[in-house]
Order: sequence, then structure tokens, then C-alpha cells
Amino acid sequence: MSKPSARAVASSTNGMKRRNRVMVLFTLPVVLLFSTFFTVPVILGVYYSMTNWTGIAKDYKFIGLRNYGNVLTDKRFWNAIFFNFKYTICLVIGVLVLSLLIALAINQLGKSSTVFRTIYFIPAVLSLVTVGLIWNELFLRAFPPIGKALNIGFLSTSLLGNPATAMFGILIVNLWQGCATPTVLFIAGLQSVPKDLYEAATIDGANAWQKFKNITVPFLLPIVTMLVITTTKGGLTIFDYIQSMTAGGPAQATEAIGILIYRHAMSEGKFAQSVAESMCLFVIVAIVSFATIKLSSKKQVGDD
Amino acid sequence: MRLSVGGKILKVVSYAFLILGALIILFPFFVTIITSLKTQQESAESFFALPSSFYLENFKSVFQKAGYFTYFRNSALITITSVVLIFLLDPMCAYGISRNLHKPYFKIIHYYLLCGIFVPFQVVMIPLVKYLGTLHLTSQLGLIIMHVTFASSQAIFLLVNYIRSVPPDLEEAASIDGCTTFGAYWRVVIPLVKPMTMTIMVLNALWVWNDFQMPLIILNKSAETWTLPLFQYNFKSQYTYDYNMAFASYLVAMVPVLIVYVCAQKYIVAGLTQGAVKT
Repeated sequence: MSKPSARAVASSTNGMKRRNRVMVLFTLPVVLLFSTFFTVPVILGVYYSMTNWTGIAKDYKFIGLRNYGNVLTDKRFWNAIFFNFKYTICLVIGVLVLSLLIALAINQLGKSSTVFRTIYFIPAVLSLVTVGLIWNELFLRAFPPIGKALNIGFLSTSLLGNPATAMFGILIVNLWQGCATPTVLFIAGLQSVPKDLYEAATIDGANAWQKFKNITVPFLLPIVTMLVITTTKGGLTIFDYIQSMTAGGPAQATEAIGILIYRHAMSEGKFAQSVAESMCLFVIVAIVSFATIKLSSKKQVGDD
Repeated sequence: MRLSVGGKILKVVSYAFLILGALIILFPFFVTIITSLKTQQESAESFFALPSSFYLENFKSVFQKAGYFTYFRNSALITITSVVLIFLLDPMCAYGISRNLHKPYFKIIHYYLLCGIFVPFQVVMIPLVKYLGTLHLTSQLGLIIMHVTFASSQAIFLLVNYIRSVPPDLEEAASIDGCTTFGAYWRVVIPLVKPMTMTIMVLNALWVWNDFQMPLIILNKSAETWTLPLFQYNFKSQYTYDYNMAFASYLVAMVPVLIVYVCAQKYIVAGLTQGAVKT
């Protein structure tokens, strides 16, 4: 093999250098945008949460962790956290059960399922606000006459108007829209199971439940994990539906943490405290996501 | 086809369940359509009756009095600009990262950008209002910038994984043939990663079009800049007595997305399911 000439080596290292520089340039716009409009606001948020700024006043001073103390002793904050956890648990169970049932049913049908797939996915493309507003009217005007006619107590007034049932009203709307994408994911999961596994199990005399438990479920577990994480995050940060349906009412029954943050900052002059609340929300979301990942990865190993 | 009795029963039950579910899904659309075509008096008499005639005044008011087209134009402008910027910036950055992951700079920015996936929007929402205010960016431009910024973490995550599965041979061949790095990227890499960029663009187009929280905190003060969801939200409090007109406004707000859904169903379903890793 002949040695490459000195010039060729020089030009190729020059080329490498230039290529490297261009590659760095490629990444710069996104890195700069991200730093300026994401990292800086996060850092500012940490700083604001340690001041006594009202959001309007010209000057404010550093007060350390006092806002966090106020947040942690605030009944409204705990009320909101409690709402979010209650709501999230119902939402996760509801989404998993409903979308798995729909996916199993659609998977049963084979070719004739296209119409159902199309219909069941429609809600996923709509704006949460529009959906919330439409259901708001339905709860107010469409269901009460039905409830009165059938003599069902809780339906004869708007679900959203009663502190005891308002959360379920929002939950119904969220499930109506929120099952669309999980259903498609479950269908894809169901179709990834090799058919011969079922055939082999049938020959071995397994019944339908045994086949579901021992063949289908292991194939669906990664999807379940992902859905638990994303739905949990969705439930803990719910905002659009509530803002467009109840705005936190009645009597703060649906005041989720997102709504509380928004209200404190935008209309109640507690800017710094609301930023401290959002930092707490961040910690909660991080812990919950981390715990879900840990728990579900353990479960997968155990089931193998 | 041979089906056992159990199989037949299962099929019947599945059909019944799915038909019931489909009716529940379609019910709000049915109510929206009939109510928007009725007068207030007709609706007061019977909420569920079909309209007796094609009464179009509700739509007329939405288009003329409420100025639907202004908000439609705002939404379209913001969505298109954001998606184009995402298409121009994110694949380029992801390409740089995925071909140089062994180098410290690229490794660090990769993790740095992925951090965004774990931070919910509400964490930065409030500081952002003040920050954009000081930068004089509480405008549509500010909103576009924020959409592009918040799209980047997920886009980088999806694209880096995708590009790494594409062997670098073709780009190397192109640069040996005298292509510049950018030329090789634009002519070779972009076509190769098209399926994933399509997914990301569809996903973000829907997200930007439907987003409510960001416009609410950035644009709410100046009515002429509102997007459709924000207009809907504010419209509710203005016309609460005239719910037939409100339903007409919901219908016209849903129609554009529904048309796109019918035309591009395959891409939209793929986009939303692959992007399910998002917040």
C-alpha cells in the first residue's frame, strides 16, 4: 500500500475539521433557542420562587425559601394536590381498561374493523378546549332532560355544577378523548403477538383467559408502562378541560394544581408563590414518573 | 369460516360493545350539528329534535360578528410557521448529534435537550409570562418561538434514534463525490429520514393548532392575535346566552382538523402513536 501524500493527509484533516465545525453549527440554532426560551425561564423561575414579587410591583426582594413554606402550609395547595392524585388514579385506570377493551374488541373483528378504528380515533385530533366546551353544554342542556325523564338523580342537574360529581364530569370528557391514542397503541401491540403462540397454546389445552394472561399480557406490558407514565403526567398537569368547563369550581372542587398556579399568578397577585407551586409540581411529576418506571420495570421481570 | 359457539358470542359482544362506544363518540358531533342549525326557540322546545329547516344565521354570526376568519388565519399562520421552523431546525440538529455521539460536546447537548421531556409546561408557564414581557415577545412571534422550542426535545429524541438506524455510507459517498456537509445532509439525509420528519411535523401541526395554554398566557390580552382555541374560550363567556351560535362556532372550529384527518388519516394516526412518548 502506498503512503498517502502529506498534502492529502493535510487536506483530509482540514476537511474533517471543517466537517466537525459544520456539524456544531447544525446544532447551534436549536441549542440556542432551547437555552434562551427554556433553560433561562426555568432558572428565572427558581429565582422568582425565592422572592416576594407580586408580579406587578416594581421592586421585590429575596426572601429565601419562605414561599415554599407558605405553599406547604396552604390548604388550597393540598386540596389541589389531592384533587390531582384522585383524578390521575381514576384517569389511568379508566384509560387502560377502556382502551384495552376497545382494542380487544376491534382486534376480534378483523377486516370489518376499519370503520370503528376511524371513528374511535376522531377525538384525538380535536382541541381539548373545543371538546371541553361542547361537553360543558351537553352536561348543562342535554343530559338533565334525560336524567329527569329516567328519574336518575345525579343526571338531572349538570354533573359539573355539583362539587361531589364535578370531577367525574371532567373525567368522562377526558376519557372520551383520551382513549383514542392508547387504543391504537394497544391494537398495534395485540397484532405484534405471533399467531402460532396462540395455536400452540390451544393445542396444549389452554383456555382463553390463560392465553390472554400468559401470551397477550406480556406483549402489552411495555405499552402499559408507557401509557401509565404519559397518562399520569397528563393527569397531574391537567388544565385545558378544567379551564374551559368549570374553571376550578364549584367551590374549588376541581381546582387542579395547574389551575391554582394560573390563578395565583394571573388574578390573585401571588406571583412568587405560584412559581414556588410550579416548582413543587415539577418535583412531584419527576418523582411519580421515576417511581412508575421503577415499579413497572420490576413487574416485567417478575412476570417473565 | 368455522367459528365455535364461544367465538360467535364473543364476536356479537364485540360488535355490540363497539357500536355502543361509537355512538358515544359520535353523540357530541350529532348534537353540535343539529344545534348549530336550529334557532334558539327550536332548541328550547326540544334539544334533540332534528332541525326543521337549514337555519344558517348562527354560522353567519360566527363568520361576521365574531370574525372567525381572523382567528382561523392566525391559527394557520402560527401553525405553518412553527412547523416549517421545526422542519428546518430539528432534523439538522439531530443529524449533527447522531453522527457525533462519541464526542463530548454532542453527547452533552443531547442529554441537555432531552431534559425538556421531563419538565411539564406548567413549570415554566408563569416565569415565561414575565420573561417574554421583558423581551417584548408577548406576540404571535413569541408564541411561534415557544412552540418551536417546546417541540425540540421530543423531536430530537425521536430523530436521533431514527437517524442512528440509517447507515452513514450514503452521506460519505456523497461527500467523496464532492458534496459539502450541508449538501450531503440536504440531498441525502433529509430524504432518508422523511418518514420520521413527517411524523414529527404532523404531530406538532396538531399540537400547535390545538394548543390552548401557551396562547392563553401569551396572547390573551390582544384579541386580534387570538388563535382558534383561545377565541372559542373567550367566545364562551361573551355569548353564553346564545348557545346555538356557540355550537356553530364549535363546529366551524372542528371542521378544518376533521377535513385534514379524513385526508391524512394514515399519517396522523402514525404521528400521534409514535409521538405518544410526549408529555
